[in-house]
Amino acid sequence: MIYAINLTISHEYEVPSGVGRHLVRMLPRAIAGRQRILAASLTVEPCPAERADRTDFFGNHVTSIHHDTPHGFSSLSLNARIECLMPVPVQDGSPDLKALHGLLDGMRQMTGDAPLHCLGPSPRIAENPAIAAYAQQVTAGTDTVLGKVTALGAALYRDIAFDPVATTVDSSAAEAFHARRGVCQDLSHIMITGLRALGIPAGYVSGFIRTVPPEGMPRLEGADASHAWVRAWCGPGNGWVEYDPTNDTFVGADHIVIGFGRDYADVSPVKGVHLSAGGQTSKQQVTVVPLEGETAF
Amino acid sequence: MATIAQSAGSPLLEGYAAGVTGRDEMLLPDGSVAPAWRSFIAHLSRLTPEQTATRISRGDQYLKDAGVYFRKYDDSQADLRDWPLSHIPVIMAEGEWRQITAGLTQRADLLEQVVADIYGDNSLVAAGHLPACLIADNPAWLRALVGVRPASGHHLNMLSFEIGRGPQGHWWVLSDLVDASNGAGFALENRVATSRVFPDHFAEAPIHRLAGFFQTFQTQLFGLKGANAGEIAVLTPGLLNDAYYEHAYIARYLGLLLVEGEDLVVRDNKVMVRTVEGLRPVAVLWRRLIGNLCDPLELDGTSLLGTPGLVDAIRQGGVTVLNALGSGILETRAFMAFLPRLSEVLTGKPLLLPNIATWWCGQPSEQSYVLDNRAKLKIGSAFATQPLEGDASETLMSASAPDAAPRPANSRPIDVLLHRNGRDLVAQEAVTLSTTPVREGGQLVPRPMSLRMFLVRTPQGWQAMPGGYARVSGGSDTTAVAMQRGGKVADVWIVSDQPVARPSLLTPSGSGSGAGSGSGAATDTATHPRSLPSRAADNLFWLGRYVERSEMNMRLFRAYFARYNDGLGHDAPLLTLLRKELMNDEGPVAGRLAGQFEQPLMSALRAAGRISDRVSTDGMMALRDLAQSTRKYAKATIDPAELPRITSILLRKITGFSGLVHENMYRSVGWRFLSLGISAERATNMATILAVLADDASSERAADGLVDGLLDGALDLVLELGDSTLTYRSQHAVRSTRQTVYDLLALDDANPRAILYHLSHIRQHIAALPVRDNRAGHAAQGRQSEISRLALKLQSGLAVETPLTLNSARLMNVRSDIRDLTDVVSRTWLQ
Repeated sequence: MIYAINLTISHEYEVPSGVGRHLVRMLPRAIAGRQRILAASLTVEPCPAERADRTDFFGNHVTSIHHDTPHGFSSLSLNARIECLMPVPVQDGSPDLKALHGLLDGMRQMTGDAPLHCLGPSPRIAENPAIAAYAQQVTAGTDTVLGKVTALGAALYRDIAFDPVATTVDSSAAEAFHARRGVCQDLSHIMITGLRALGIPAGYVSGFIRTVPPEGMPRLEGADASHAWVRAWCGPGNGWVEYDPTNDTFVGADHIVIGFGRDYADVSPVKGVHLSAGGQTSKQQVTVVPLEGETAF
Repeated sequence: MATIAQSAGSPLLEGYAAGVTGRDEMLLPDGSVAPAWRSFIAHLSRLTPEQTATRISRGDQYLKDAGVYFRKYDDSQADLRDWPLSHIPVIMAEGEWRQITAGLTQRADLLEQVVADIYGDNSLVAAGHLPACLIADNPAWLRALVGVRPASGHHLNMLSFEIGRGPQGHWWVLSDLVDASNGAGFALENRVATSRVFPDHFAEAPIHRLAGFFQTFQTQLFGLKGANAGEIAVLTPGLLNDAYYEHAYIARYLGLLLVEGEDLVVRDNKVMVRTVEGLRPVAVLWRRLIGNLCDPLELDGTSLLGTPGLVDAIRQGGVTVLNALGSGILETRAFMAFLPRLSEVLTGKPLLLPNIATWWCGQPSEQSYVLDNRAKLKIGSAFATQPLEGDASETLMSASAPDAAPRPANSRPIDVLLHRNGRDLVAQEAVTLSTTPVREGGQLVPRPMSLRMFLVRTPQGWQAMPGGYARVSGGSDTTAVAMQRGGKVADVWIVSDQPVARPSLLTPSGSGSGAGSGSGAATDTATHPRSLPSRAADNLFWLGRYVERSEMNMRLFRAYFARYNDGLGHDAPLLTLLRKELMNDEGPVAGRLAGQFEQPLMSALRAAGRISDRVSTDGMMALRDLAQSTRKYAKATIDPAELPRITSILLRKITGFSGLVHENMYRSVGWRFLSLGISAERATNMATILAVLADDASSERAADGLVDGLLDGALDLVLELGDSTLTYRSQHAVRSTRQTVYDLLALDDANPRAILYHLSHIRQHIAALPVRDNRAGHAAQGRQSEISRLALKLQSGLAVETPLTLNSARLMNVRSDIRDLTDVVSRTWLQ
């Protein structure tokens, strides 16, 4: 499936401002066997005084920009064509927890894709006894690592209400879990916290899902903005498995990845420090449109 | 020489040996005084108790004069405390120092190899020599720096180590200080003070000097610039950091620019400092800010102390940072468990100087060892950076007493804890430290101590400071060495058996140089003036304003109570008018009215504190003394009859501070901003006073008891506030009128209390301010001539007035024009 994707994040300032540096992680990464970037461009307005593109520790695209003159309006706009390959259905070839822990103890790989980065605390994921106990409880009925991942994901889908106003981008997993409400970011952070408490490496995926549902299918939650889900390392057989707790599903060809990280802080689309004298309003718009009849080959 | 038998006769050492429970620095195990100590002890024994006391107070006075303080954190507020110098140095023979140096040099090279690997391809983890989780789970491992090669070619350029001596006499490394903690400036401060306590002995004895080490360090810093041109700056977390005074001191001593994160910006991958002349490049950054806080964009996003983009600049080789960002991971406590093995692996040799025995509890064999030996071990976080012995922040959890109030999260039996959280824990051997003499109650008593030693990288290898910084426990408990818990610090003397070279210490600036900018620094600042960061200029400007504001409010306060004492009641019209219009509408209470000059003084002190590398120690002392003196107004109830007299004393003191500025301060750009602040404030205040007390609008009020519409005595009060009563009497034999007062205090260009005088000065200062050069260079220049025109307009506008044309409305316009002008000055140079 090929998608035409637009993501625009814009800021409007009451008093001209916006001078400062930002790190932008909006350009999707290529993933062998999973998604190909046919074309992608990031347009920054007004034109920044400095711009540099590179790849970060985790292999994500990152663009650093610097504006040196105040402005009343700014926008970051991604336009991309991405081909998503139909994933092979996930079959459980995962070990039990004890075997997984044995495997992890022997691991010495430190590259960005290594499971070891996603075991301990990270900027937005702290240990949480309540989530740990919950994860323990809802996954008790299954022995395999993959079984525990889906059990926890399903339980969260059942127990945490999708609620776009209950939390903010800065809310912690603990707060959202306590309120039993939140959005995809909160669900993902709670699930990551729970999986790590079980000793299962778990990371955060930022991306998109298709906006327009296939005929007769319900529209997926989170389609009106950029989306987030979880990936868990389930042993050498299954490797990293991506699971979307907001929709209680493994990811399919409807999920397009921007980047992988330990939590939101590693992949937030715009991170920045700028001087602002007055208030500002921010807007995010997403369209993910499947292109019928086009193929990449 | 002096044996213990001989010294037993000396009251100095009486009872000392009895207090020694383990190894002592001064007394050898056989009870004799160690050779390196003998001549000093002999010297000390010859001094009478009075002589010793005099000398010690001389050393303490130096520390006070030099502004050496440390900040102690209580529950919520930080407090300045006297520097806790133990006046008795720790003395070490050169031979022993050389052995320690060899061990630390080997360790420094090992640490460089380890950190290069951790930020390189992690082959040590791949080969199983370091557990992967100690890197991957480590908050000090800065992933943004992985793969980044430091511009200087090395991660480590300046190191310090905390070492201690065990009961068998061997030295142990207690911690590696890599990231931001240092203390070389502390060592220097201790040396200067101690050499003043024992000047004659110090001059004659073969004690190694420190100056050579600092000269080497300075040379190295210049060498580290490499291809980058620009300043060498010390990056400090700021005034609230407990070591801020050391940062300011060492920056001034070495002639480096002291900056905070907000002073720096990154442009085109270069680090630039905001100065009054525009952006200036920084080539070398000696940071005293921990790595993770240095760049909120790529590191800890909650940091308010860092500089966005710094990591980008480092990545592109645009700046050299000491030590490299991320190298702080070497301080991880658990690394101590692996360094002995890593030394064998990487160099084929064992560590010459062992570190404190440490077990990482992430493996079953170590877990069972720790359980079996729990009685002699301490257990704590694997990722903490302090040795368990000296870590005040951590509730020490002794494995032998699992019920001794451990942290709530870990309130589990020790074996369960080790099993579940083993990876996050280390056990360390409880080290017993050696003791060194401290003077208490006229006698020497043994107290536990540890030493901090310093190494700097040179092209020829590491060079060690022939001295150090000793921390001495406040009590006899051999585990409590943290200064925050009431310990002391001491100089470290390395004594030779040969005569030593005596380069004199570079002269630290301070005494007598006035609130000068950069005067007296180690480099020739006359020919290479340090840049003036905009933040420093802003603080100088506000320092001037606040001091002047405080002075005027003191005058108001004194005048108020002089009239009150003459029989005017608090509700008399003149005093009511004073309170309402000029004293912030405060109630008629001395303590509250005194707040009007106390608060600006506190603000002045804060502003001066933020630029203490630029304000002379005399200036700081004068301000502190003033602030101290004003406290009594708030607390004690003072007889109102006394208030004018004691306020006159305050006024003399604050005039003394202004005198420092005018008489002693080099006419630098910094002085211009300070003077601008003073003139803007004084002109503003005088305009307000004239508008209120000599108000022409009030002449239409034809009430009883009013002369020319003014309250009785109002004009005399103006003259008093303007410190111009005498001048007036010499010029005008007649009774004061509004016009004659206007003439003297508004329009007289020769009276330093008059508005016009200060408008002329403001104009001159602005004309002399540096031309900004930045990207929008032309625009900035146009703006500057615009500001000069504004200043000229303001000055000439008042100059053409006459006593007959001037009025209150016009004075209030002058006031708002000054505010507009200073606003635009602030926007142009100070932000």
